[in-house]
Amino acid sequence: MQRERISYNVHKAKKMKVCYLFLLPYLLLFVTFFILPIATSIYYSFTYYNILEAPRFVGMQNYINLVLQDEVFLTAVKNTFVIAVVTGPIGYILSFLFAWFINELPRWLRTIAVVVFYAPSIAGNAFVVFSIIFRGDAYGYLNSFLMQFGLIDAPILWLLDPKYIMPVIIVVILWMSMGTGFLSFVAGLQGVDRSMYEAGYVDGIRNRWQELYYITLPSMKPMLLFGAVMSITSAFNVCDVPRALAGYPSTDYAARTIVTHLFDYGFSRFEMGYASAIATVLFVVMILCNKAIQAMLRKVGT
Amino acid sequence: MSNRNAYLIEPPKDNSKAEQRRYMAQLRGEYQMDQPKLNVGRFLLISLIIMALLAGVLVFSNIKLAQIEEYNLAISQGAAGEVDSSASAYLVARVAAIAVMVIYGLYALVKVLQPKRRKPNRSFWGDMGIYVMLFGVAIAMAFPLIFSVASSLKPLDELFRFPPKVFPQHVTLDNFSDLITTLGQSYVPFFRYLTNTVFITFIGTFGHVVIASMAAFVLAKYDFPGGKTFFSIVVTALMFSGYVTGIPNYVIMSRMGMIDTYWAVILPAFAAPIGLFLMKQFMEGLPTSLIEAAHIDGAGEFRIFWSIVMPNVKPAWLTIIIFSVQSLWNTNAATVIYSESKKTLVYALQQIQAGGIARTGQAAAVTVIVMLVPITIFILSQSRILETMASSGLKD
Repeated sequence: MQRERISYNVHKAKKMKVCYLFLLPYLLLFVTFFILPIATSIYYSFTYYNILEAPRFVGMQNYINLVLQDEVFLTAVKNTFVIAVVTGPIGYILSFLFAWFINELPRWLRTIAVVVFYAPSIAGNAFVVFSIIFRGDAYGYLNSFLMQFGLIDAPILWLLDPKYIMPVIIVVILWMSMGTGFLSFVAGLQGVDRSMYEAGYVDGIRNRWQELYYITLPSMKPMLLFGAVMSITSAFNVCDVPRALAGYPSTDYAARTIVTHLFDYGFSRFEMGYASAIATVLFVVMILCNKAIQAMLRKVGT
Repeated sequence: MSNRNAYLIEPPKDNSKAEQRRYMAQLRGEYQMDQPKLNVGRFLLISLIIMALLAGVLVFSNIKLAQIEEYNLAISQGAAGEVDSSASAYLVARVAAIAVMVIYGLYALVKVLQPKRRKPNRSFWGDMGIYVMLFGVAIAMAFPLIFSVASSLKPLDELFRFPPKVFPQHVTLDNFSDLITTLGQSYVPFFRYLTNTVFITFIGTFGHVVIASMAAFVLAKYDFPGGKTFFSIVVTALMFSGYVTGIPNYVIMSRMGMIDTYWAVILPAFAAPIGLFLMKQFMEGLPTSLIEAAHIDGAGEFRIFWSIVMPNVKPAWLTIIIFSVQSLWNTNAATVIYSESKKTLVYALQQIQAGGIARTGQAAAVTVIVMLVPITIFILSQSRILETMASSGLKD
């Protein structure tokens, strides 16, 4: 595939003007709705701001409160990290493995399998159905199933008991984790050059795992990097699922994540300065995490 | 690696039909394993007998279970005798029979369907294991969605039945007709919500495709100062969720006087990073010579963009249209739109969903309606989407 670009030197400034002209509409909108918000968010994080009064500068106070006084925030950080550390890598690896398995199927079966695996992540808020499956009384499907088999004798409050909330949420998020990254893997696997596999057969690649490690993974690196970005995004921005399933707020804040915490301060208490500090922390964590993972993935298969 | 040479292409040894076919198959890249030829008729007969035996076990244990249940019920109502507690053995038998039937069915399917197209370095049992696992996981993935559809077809008494059943006994569309009645009674006519969503989705998607493609074109095909930096910022922005930028966005929009207008939803959608990203990656695959040739023929940049580049990236259009439609269709826009007459369809539906126990049936119907639209769109367009996603990789 050709990847070269048409390059213009500075003398052809007129041509370059056209480039910027093409970019301009997107640039304006992008700066207004993505860059400016981040910048204002960082600015507000150093102020006390409640929308009605003008922002008042308070220095590092928000961050200090966040770490030293806000125990709920620390719970939220802990929960977010648990969710991210479990669902991020597992969801990512599962997406790749299933994409790889699906790739071997005949075409018609592959189409069905892709739809089945991808559907949960685009099904709107279909995850609310889990609130019926995990319902806390005997009418809940899981409870009644377990009770029929005599595994438990009293219904378990899956969504109210702090012991069970996190595992339930992690299961639901894993269910939804075959998203854009998964599609990218499926497409990427079909694009791997077939002659490489044939060369592999002759060169003595004995089983599918060797083929995966020596041929498939190195050719998939760009998709792996893209998939990592998507899975970091979904692993850190968990908000809807805990809010819909465990309630808002949840028992003992057992399902509080950084984003629900931000939502609470931003849209319920209108402490915008404080909420912005939370948002800023989340950005920094996500960007650092992304850098680390990209550095790790570059080493795959080399 | 005794049979490694079996995968090298050999010319036909004689003029027999089988040799010809083997040669053609090797040329097409379908590798043949040295495996015994399967007698399909006999294999199917044996399979049929095994399946019939298993089905017998299943039916027998079901009858037995029903008897035990009836017997225990009679005892609990005061009849003489002891409680029969052998039910669990039959339950185990039933589950085991189902499991064996599924696994054997898959095995038979693989055995009959695939002897022609085997790759040389795949073991048969490895394939089997993967098929069984994929099948199991696919069922688990589909179950919640099937369950939502099944719930929406249940009459009210079955929704609250104990013990609950997954599939409806008497299929009914009552929930959907109730939903229409409820929507008909709302303060704002149902049709209004629908037009709001359609308007937002249509304008948002159209603008997004045009604006993002224009930017993607120059980023993919021209080298100009700042282009690469800008693109790496866009890639970072893939990670920002709507919640994180929600607060400052609200402030910015209120300064611009856009709160409570459709534009508060539409304008940010124009600049969705995922669309620009996918479009740019796809356009990089276009041959640069195509554009250079057009330059030499004297075409301006706009002409090149509109009549050469755009017609060649149709799969990418469709993909970003679908991603945009999916996200706009699912926005409830509750934080930026306040007037009831401007609310979106999903918002109205979610209000019904939040209506509590009395609305359980309608809530199930809502879930189905909301999820069917994006899934249907995806099914219809999945081959184009996969074509685009093949170029989605991030290069260093």
